[in-house]
Amino acid sequence: MTEDVEMKELPAPSNSTTTTSPSTLNHLKEIASLIETGAYAREVRRIVRAVRLTMALRRKLKAQVLSAFLNFALTPGSEPHNRLVSYLPKEDVHEMECDTASSVSQTPMKHPLPELEIYCYLLVLIYLIDQKKYNEAKACSSASVARLKNVNRRTVDVLASRLYFYYSLSYELTGDLAEIRGNLLALHRIATLRHDELGQETLLNLLLRNYLHYNLYDQAEKLRSKAPRFEAHSNQQFCRYLFYLGKIRTIQLEYTDAKESLLQAARKAPVAALGFRVQCNKWAIIVRLLLGEIPERTVFMQKGMENALKPYFELTNAVRIGDLELFKSVAEKFSTIFSSDRTHNLIVRLRHNVIRTGLRNISISYSRISLADVAKKLRLDSANPVADAESIVAKAIRDGAIDATLDHANGWMVSKETGDIYSTNEPQIAFNSRIAFCLNMHNEAVRALRFPPNSHKEKESAEKRRERQQQEQELAKHIAEEDDDEF
Amino acid sequence: MDHKLTEVSQLFERFKAAGMREDVDTCSDLLSKLKVMLTGFRSLPPLFEDTPNAVHELTLARDIYEHAVLLSVKIGDQDAFERDFFQLKPYYTDASSRLPPSSQEYMILGLNLLRLLVQNRIAEFHTELELLSPAALENPCIKHAVELEQSFMEGAYNRVLSAKQTVPYKTYDYFMDLLAKTVRDEIAGCSEKAYDYLSISDASRMLLFSSDDELFQYIKEEHPEWEIKNGLVIFQKAKESAPCKEIPSLQLINQTLSYARELERIV
Repeated sequence: MTEDVEMKELPAPSNSTTTTSPSTLNHLKEIASLIETGAYAREVRRIVRAVRLTMALRRKLKAQVLSAFLNFALTPGSEPHNRLVSYLPKEDVHEMECDTASSVSQTPMKHPLPELEIYCYLLVLIYLIDQKKYNEAKACSSASVARLKNVNRRTVDVLASRLYFYYSLSYELTGDLAEIRGNLLALHRIATLRHDELGQETLLNLLLRNYLHYNLYDQAEKLRSKAPRFEAHSNQQFCRYLFYLGKIRTIQLEYTDAKESLLQAARKAPVAALGFRVQCNKWAIIVRLLLGEIPERTVFMQKGMENALKPYFELTNAVRIGDLELFKSVAEKFSTIFSSDRTHNLIVRLRHNVIRTGLRNISISYSRISLADVAKKLRLDSANPVADAESIVAKAIRDGAIDATLDHANGWMVSKETGDIYSTNEPQIAFNSRIAFCLNMHNEAVRALRFPPNSHKEKESAEKRRERQQQEQELAKHIAEEDDDEF
Repeated sequence: MDHKLTEVSQLFERFKAAGMREDVDTCSDLLSKLKVMLTGFRSLPPLFEDTPNAVHELTLARDIYEHAVLLSVKIGDQDAFERDFFQLKPYYTDASSRLPPSSQEYMILGLNLLRLLVQNRIAEFHTELELLSPAALENPCIKHAVELEQSFMEGAYNRVLSAKQTVPYKTYDYFMDLLAKTVRDEIAGCSEKAYDYLSISDASRMLLFSSDDELFQYIKEEHPEWEIKNGLVIFQKAKESAPCKEIPSLQLINQTLSYARELERIV
């Protein structure tokens, strides 16, 4: 999602080309050496760093720089080199052709690492997408994915997951997502067989996105529930997963779970990913309304979101008041926005909640009211409003939305006195669940604190470590036993 | 036209003729034969091979499955309906680019929505709804089902029942009758909670019975806990949650101890 936001075009300052390009090239070379050491030492960490550094360089990428880098990293004339150069704009390449020959002879590289080759694909692909050359990007990404299927190295996984992402993005930008679904499924299968968890995570999200793009909620849920799950490797991917999960659950009316996923996704998302957070908030607001909650005003006042959330703010207002007419007019007023957000069907579902809120307000304000007045207050426009009101009230009573009884003979609704809640166990139970939540949160936080291995005990031998772990385990067991004893 | 295709279309004509004669048994026999024969065509889902007769075969197969769905409604077999519908669905979604749209499409989609409603599979109902375009939602068949669901969720049951008069097709009657039964159970469940008592005449009118005897029969079968006294139906009230008289000491002690232990761990 950070990538999505970063995609804003920046006008490249033309006069600084001469000064920046050598330094960009140098940066790229540094990154390449980082990848090399990472690949030889089998340290995924370094490759992750390389990718992060590349993202910082993204806006400075130029065709010239890229072709120079390709000449540096890959053997000119070799098959991947020829293919990648063909994606770059022709005229720029020609300029460079003459002086690159010399640089290549200085750094002869006979067998480029697969990591480096994949990295070159990634660079070219990012460049093409940024230049809005989507058809070339599609060709390039398809070629890279075909190449990736034959590379089975754990150090490539990080780069591969990035490539998958851009592969899907380039097809999405041209509106051909359905084409690559089979391919993504095959890739997901391969990643699972290779225990490439990051790849699985990324591909699962891409598949979910692919299905949801066409509203195929059924297929998405079937895939999601059957795909292997493990601890998340990347925060971004996890956020996306939560968002898709929230959407699926909303459609399938599991609002409580949906709310949890959507709110978590909105909170975990990086601050820069504004568009993603706005989307999460929109869905979360609707789900909370469907649950009968009214989101606080601060939700709509979040920085940078006021305008995007305005239609939803007015909608919330209509639901809060319980006014069907106002609700209808808001839904009509913003119908284009709601249908472009694809929340239109959810808003249709909300009508029922508007009636409920209105009914609850009536039930609180009156101890006894005739059904004809209820119908008038709810503004039910139907052939037989009193009978409608009667059955609606009856259902609300059964669902526990209001506490009242009906008197059919006299045609009125009698609200029950609300009992003193503090005479029951209710407050104590609520208090206990909150304390338990806080304590649990603290424990989780302690557990989540991670330390890099060997940072403070460099010289600890394997034997000593085993001894220490054993001691720790015994201690833990001891504590656990002590806990049991107390009961 | 190749020989297999003619054979299938001839058989299909016989099937249609049997359908006109309301000869359900012959229809079912012919249908299973037709389905077996359809497996011989390579242009149908899931293969979708581009054979010379592809469009023709696809249209024929779609026609056959449409009739199969309608037949299952006629004999009132909901499982068969579900099976046939799922076989038909790829022709509407995946093959839509190669075929001219079917005139029956929305009618059958609406039927399916109604079936999900009757079986109270609301989640699937909404999943299906998401697949429809805004234009499709305006279609009377789909709109009918959507409005039914809304009235059903709100509790406006008499609106659900009056919708029976406005069904777009005669085939909808089967599911509408089933829906009426579901609605009756819902009304019974709601009345039980909402009223202290109802007069017998009111109760039988609300539960859509034509005579009091039917009502008594229904109460005996479905709600034996309701009491009939002095011309009134008296519903048994669930006991109110009594205010807590004594302090749940053991539970409190346990909780407090666990707080103390957790706090100790923090400090």
